[in-house]
Amino acid sequence: MSIFEYNGSALVAMVGKNCFAIASDRRLGVQLQTIATDFQRIFKIHDKLYVGLSGLATDVLTLHQRFAFRHKLYQLREERNMRPETFASLVSALLYEKRELAKDFVVAGTAAESLYGACESMYKPDMEPEELFETISQALLSSIDRDCLSGWGGHVYVVSPNQVIERTLKGRMD
Amino acid sequence: MAATEGIKQHQSTWSPYDNNGGTCIAIAGANYCVIAADTRMSTGYSILTRDYSKICNLADKCVMASSGFQADVKALQKNLSARHLHNKQMSCPAMAQLLSNTLYYKRFFPYYSFNVLGGLDNEGKGCVFTYDAVGSYERVGYGAQGTGGTLMMPVLDNQLKSPSPLLLPAQDATTPLLESEAVDLVKDVFASAAERDIYTGDGLEIVVVNAEGVKREFLELRRD
Repeated sequence: MSIFEYNGSALVAMVGKNCFAIASDRRLGVQLQTIATDFQRIFKIHDKLYVGLSGLATDVLTLHQRFAFRHKLYQLREERNMRPETFASLVSALLYEKRELAKDFVVAGTAAESLYGACESMYKPDMEPEELFETISQALLSSIDRDCLSGWGGHVYVVSPNQVIERTLKGRMD
Repeated sequence: MAATEGIKQHQSTWSPYDNNGGTCIAIAGANYCVIAADTRMSTGYSILTRDYSKICNLADKCVMASSGFQADVKALQKNLSARHLHNKQMSCPAMAQLLSNTLYYKRFFPYYSFNVLGGLDNEGKGCVFTYDAVGSYERVGYGAQGTGGTLMMPVLDNQLKSPSPLLLPAQDATTPLLESEAVDLVKDVFASAAERDIYTGDGLEIVVVNAEGVKREFLELRRD
């Protein structure tokens, strides 16, 4: 079994009109056993920057701590927050891998294939926050229902210029 | 001892199977059935042809779509098409059982063929049967097989919301959608899958079986 499938995860982020949404499932498992049903995979770097991490849970936590550390140092030196493009370069550097900024949506995790299909069908550009929330929620829930290693509901963050709405979704609790 | 030192182990690299890619789906309606498949045939990262049909008419109101290894699919289609038993056309549920038996017959050297069977049952209602490579089958309201299957199933779940087959009393799995709505859904999911699955694309063949007969539609998909 691949190390990326050990804990299970589902992550999706979408771009809307002057807003974005990022969502994840809530399951933490050890192969087929479920250990936690409230695992956070999405972390706030600053008000306008969130990062979601899929794959091995211990590395999710480690990377989150490293990103938070690097961002705090950046804030001290630059006296401002990091732009998303800059943060993407930081992610690239830490992972030794080039990341492109997507214009529509990004998916990750054990449910990635299902998420690709669902997002491709349901996404359209320039959605307002409310519609974006509905779309990302439907795409996430439909996809994790077809993946044994993801589930137990969802966490969705919808970020607009003036506010962040965080919601928890109830889906099939298996 | 010295003589055996130089002998290397040769691992076998030849496989009797290949995966020619592609995706097939079927959706059952109240009085129709839609069966669709893309028309790309690939091997590895190459395209062998852009207009290969994965759909076969097994009987009057019974259509099979298969993805996987097309040489095995062709052999399977020939095997099934030759059956004209008892001087009458086989009904779809009967053909479903026959397909299952044919596949299990080769349990220890399987047909590398992932099938969906669609058609009308004896009451004229749409029926879809979904299979694995060795003949395990189930009647469902809709099914998707092939490389793009995992991309399409969540969307079909979301739009068609079939009741669980475990419920009692047994509920009708066919969708209340109109035939035109089901065909539009099929076009949408294939367009989406063609974007993200490298093995799905080029063209889409849609077959609709209803009381009037069998009609075929063909449209273009992304060619990249």
